[in-house]
Amino acid sequence: MNIIGPDTLIFGVDDIDSCTQYLLDYGLESVGNGRFEALDGTGVEVKAKDDTSLPAPLETGSTLRKTIYGVADQATLDAIAEELKKDREVKQLDDGSIEAVDDMGFALGFQVTVRKTLNLPAETINAPGADNQRGLNVIGVEKEASPKPRSLSHVVYFVPDFAKAEAFYAERLGFITTDRFHGVGPFMRPAGTQDHHTVFFIQTPPHMQGIEHFTFHMGGPTEVVHAGTNMVNKGYQSFWGPGRHLLGSNWFWYFKSPFGCNVEYDADMDLHNDDWTARAIAPGADNSQAFLLQFREKWAPMGPPPAADQ
Amino acid sequence: MGTDGASTRSGSVNSMHRMIKLCHLDDLPEQNARGFDPSREGQDTVFVVRQGNHIYAYKDLCPHYGDTALPWRKDEYLDPWGGTIVCAAHGAHFEIATGLCIDGPCMGESLPKVPVQIMDNGDILVAIDEPHGGGESP
Ligand code: FES
Ligand SMILES: [Fe+2]
Repeated sequence: MNIIGPDTLIFGVDDIDSCTQYLLDYGLESVGNGRFEALDGTGVEVKAKDDTSLPAPLETGSTLRKTIYGVADQATLDAIAEELKKDREVKQLDDGSIEAVDDMGFALGFQVTVRKTLNLPAETINAPGADNQRGLNVIGVEKEASPKPRSLSHVVYFVPDFAKAEAFYAERLGFITTDRFHGVGPFMRPAGTQDHHTVFFIQTPPHMQGIEHFTFHMGGPTEVVHAGTNMVNKGYQSFWGPGRHLLGSNWFWYFKSPFGCNVEYDADMDLHNDDWTARAIAPGADNSQAFLLQFREKWAPMGPPPAADQ
Repeated sequence: MGTDGASTRSGSVNSMHRMIKLCHLDDLPEQNARGFDPSREGQDTVFVVRQGNHIYAYKDLCPHYGDTALPWRKDEYLDPWGGTIVCAAHGAHFEIATGLCIDGPCMGESLPKVPVQIMDNGDILVAIDEPHGGGESP
């Protein structure tokens, strides 16, 4: 099935004002009605927790209320509806999209994708032995920059049964497992994208079910670090990063958020096709990152001893 | 004036700890929380919550992953209504008075308590582990 990737994540939150400010500071564009978009039109919607237009919450109270996937065309949409109708209710919504619940209880939407085709350069580098990418007299970095998220990249879910999740997405929706952590869960991509993953499942006890993080693709590692530095300077607190993941090779920087999940910037993820054979490796700190360039707020070597009062 | 457990006196704190002043009671609005970096680690490691005249102090360490500080922004330790302590990473909620996780991924686990004392003059003191030398590299 020609599913391309997540188009929109819909949240039901306690603190709309903080979440709104957070997404603006993160770099998304407000387009009204609580919707915030990246450059390609994918995005996040923020609603009040008790908004009646939202699908019912999970028992765990996760703030993520719906994941809407973009698909290539109406024929794909019809095929998904047909497939899911076999064993569950599929709602036809006024906007032409369909809605159903997956085998874990997450509400899903499917729509003909809103993604606009972007025509933007990737980050370029110069290296001895290679043709220079950036060109002569072209500057690599400026002190001030506000790089914009380009496209909704992936969502990571805590699930009580990753095998069940993997089976649903593989068998019913045609997702492909690109890599996996033993005993933890698979990285998966839908058939309509070459991205290493648009979803990753993490096995947890049932009371944890929900969203671990979501992230947007940036134009390159410099943009990840620049955008993350801007977040730090605005007072947001880093959760993990900057660094580079091993599986997927994507650069990352995670921040905590008022959504009750982490929010990431990522860049330069591996691309795969059907020739790829999924790897399976042991989970753990050593395998979750190739390296970590830990941000530190105000550390200075040989700093003063703790004062008696401050 | 209440303290956390009300049992801690500077004299009774063992020699591995010492009491250090964080701030004055008047620096904390009622029903509010604030993070501190008493051992100068470069990030907040302790936070206090004020509820009326009660002060509760905890290590800024979520029991879920074990190495994560709680707030999404400096001092954002409470839910919008000030009723619970929240870890922003995955939305765990903790009771202010006990530190017990009552909702979220680390349900049943607790925030590590920090002995706290309010002096007669209103100074708020917490017990911190003896600092490991000002010049140590991380
Ligand atoms: S690290 Fe605090 S809730 Fe997960
Ligand atoms: Fe990620």
